[in-house]
Amino acid sequence: MMLRPCDVVLIAITIWLTLANIARAFIRRRILHASYLGVTWAIFISFTIADLFSFAVGNWILALLSFVALREYFSLIEVRIQDRLAILGAYLSIPFMFYFVAIDWYGMFIVSIPVYSFLAIPLLITLGGKQREGTIHSIGVIEFGLFLLFCLGHLGYLMRFSSWMAAALVIQVVVCDVSSYLLRDRLRSLLAETIARFLVPLPLTISVALLLSPWTGIPTRHSLIHGAMIPLLVIMGHRTADYVQVDLLGGEGALFPDRGRVLDDLKSFLFATPVVFHYIRYFLT
Amino acid sequence: MTHALLLRPFIKFFSGVRVVGGEHIRGLDQYIIIANHNSHLDTLVLFFLLPLRDIARSHPVADEPYFSKSRLAFRLISFLFQPIWITRGRPETDRDPLEKVKQVLASRHNLIIFPEGTRGRPGEMESFKSGIGRLVAQCPDVPIVPVYLSGPERALPKGSKLLLPFWNSIVIGHPQTYHGPHRDITRRLESILVELSLSNAARRKRSARKRAAAVVAFLGIDGSGKSTVSRIVAQGLSRASNVAFVSDGLEFYEQGASRDAQPLLAEKLREIIGRNAKRAKSLRAYKVPKLAELLLRDYLIHEVERWYNPEIIITDGLPIFNMAAWAALYKKEAIDEETCTQAISYLTEDAGRMDHSERLLRDLPELKFIRHLSLTRLRLPKAVVMLDVAPGTACARISSRGEQRQVHETEEKLSELREAYLMVCEVVQRHWGIPVQIIDGSQTLQQVASKSLQFAESLSLQKGEAGESSN
Repeated sequence: MMLRPCDVVLIAITIWLTLANIARAFIRRRILHASYLGVTWAIFISFTIADLFSFAVGNWILALLSFVALREYFSLIEVRIQDRLAILGAYLSIPFMFYFVAIDWYGMFIVSIPVYSFLAIPLLITLGGKQREGTIHSIGVIEFGLFLLFCLGHLGYLMRFSSWMAAALVIQVVVCDVSSYLLRDRLRSLLAETIARFLVPLPLTISVALLLSPWTGIPTRHSLIHGAMIPLLVIMGHRTADYVQVDLLGGEGALFPDRGRVLDDLKSFLFATPVVFHYIRYFLT
Repeated sequence: MTHALLLRPFIKFFSGVRVVGGEHIRGLDQYIIIANHNSHLDTLVLFFLLPLRDIARSHPVADEPYFSKSRLAFRLISFLFQPIWITRGRPETDRDPLEKVKQVLASRHNLIIFPEGTRGRPGEMESFKSGIGRLVAQCPDVPIVPVYLSGPERALPKGSKLLLPFWNSIVIGHPQTYHGPHRDITRRLESILVELSLSNAARRKRSARKRAAAVVAFLGIDGSGKSTVSRIVAQGLSRASNVAFVSDGLEFYEQGASRDAQPLLAEKLREIIGRNAKRAKSLRAYKVPKLAELLLRDYLIHEVERWYNPEIIITDGLPIFNMAAWAALYKKEAIDEETCTQAISYLTEDAGRMDHSERLLRDLPELKFIRHLSLTRLRLPKAVVMLDVAPGTACARISSRGEQRQVHETEEKLSELREAYLMVCEVVQRHWGIPVQIIDGSQTLQQVASKSLQFAESLSLQKGEAGESSN
């Protein structure tokens, strides 16, 4: 099998992330501890496998990652005993959705969660017990979990178009995250910080998009536009996830694997994946 | 084998487990684990945290009639956990259930007991049955390890047959042995588990603001009566709030009375090192153990906060100030107010952000060493009380104690130390705006104590206010 340069780069990134993860186990520095090496590593492993060996395996690795994220989310929310059936339904939505990604049935993938799961959850809640108080709350919190899952599903479908499209998106999001990490608490007003968090990564995300365009196959014009979109989408994702996180967990403090770590790692993808996916799908396919 | 290859990976990947305090169980020879009981999964999760070599010699205590309803389940449970079968609440059929359990303990095996007797409602703890107290009273030498489980009650609650993935969080408390009447032991164990469930480590949600305890430090040279005075103040303040008192020992006060608590490992270590330091023959030999003791004392303050969550911590001396004063004693020529300020800020603040003069590190190379050990986040107090005594009086008091004198307890050294403490007080008041009260320690004990208490009460140290300036 001949390796193309893009495959080599993908493998190199994955190996580097693997080594960084191993290093993290030994070096307990705060910056490494809090950074989202684990999640990025899992994502890149799935890209590499999908690119080189089998799309299905890479796809199911993403499904596993969704399971971890969903499990953490459900461990954080308050649910009644009778919602357990609905939670089971939510877990089963993972294979339900990723199956349609695997067989490349777009029409079914795009309605799997917003139509079928969103209808099934309230029904399952009513089947779980007789208590009516708190039903709306339960439906809301469980379906928000599915919303997270749906975002990761989009990443999977983007990977189906091309591994490098998805990889470029992840790299751009990471660039935005790193710059917003470096910018935090530096500026006095929220507005100034938001503008800085948009403008500082902007040249970087655009250049990443342009640089990778031979591999992603996105034409220059669209690379420019979607490179410019990503910082804005990341800011939107951060803002939404911050509100959710504070409500779930309270203020600041260390994040642990069962206390919002995975959610924190995925928050930048919340808006970026679906919007970029549909942009690419609408204009380029 | 089954545990290592099948059950552990299952728990790890299906549910996920986070263990806090795992060091408390490692290295123990024999122990009794007590835990809250909300789910059938509890036993499985508890076996997850046992060291592999202990699995074959650890036994949960289980009710035979309940589990023998199904032959298959009975066989499976017997195979996996080798439980000790007892019969709940029917003493006529079972001679003495304690006998069986005691035999197991006599063969140096470990026990897992759910003292609630049965699974409670999800997330709630029931009162303990008396059996655990009786057992502990009869085998007082086996350490008890309290464990608080949360998660299994969500994964498989009572009354549900549907097993779902949820994170499990396990908090392991400090092992301890108990003596005394069995009723007291039962009550004590129950309150320990309740405390553990409320501890910061066990909470699923993080609190909106990390509530830091207010630290009040008592300074003064040896013989100034600071230990006695600070203990009286701790007792006085405890009428309104929970107070931890860190002196040569660790004490807790609640509603004006002392309260016993689980000992901390750091505390034991500090005691040993402190004893070593006190025996030192020269100032040189005194230096290293004293420094280690001071650093441990600071760590201890953090540990006390982490596990007991008191509102106020009264300390007899404060590591950072003692260090500063001792530095002044060892390096008289190098320390002036400015270096003292710099050194304190070096040790308490984020050292990376500050630019420190070369001189500071040249004069005090120990700082670099402490920095390398990542010990530079020592804690500044909310308030300082300095008991000022003339060195002569202090010496007279020390000799009237009749103990062996420590190396630095001479009039000359003490007067230097007193100067240094006064300088430190001056510096923290000016540079950090920490309220300092200097009290003339030559008055009678009652006068000094009531003055310090007045000062401490005037600070309004209750939580909430204290939290804002947590570091």
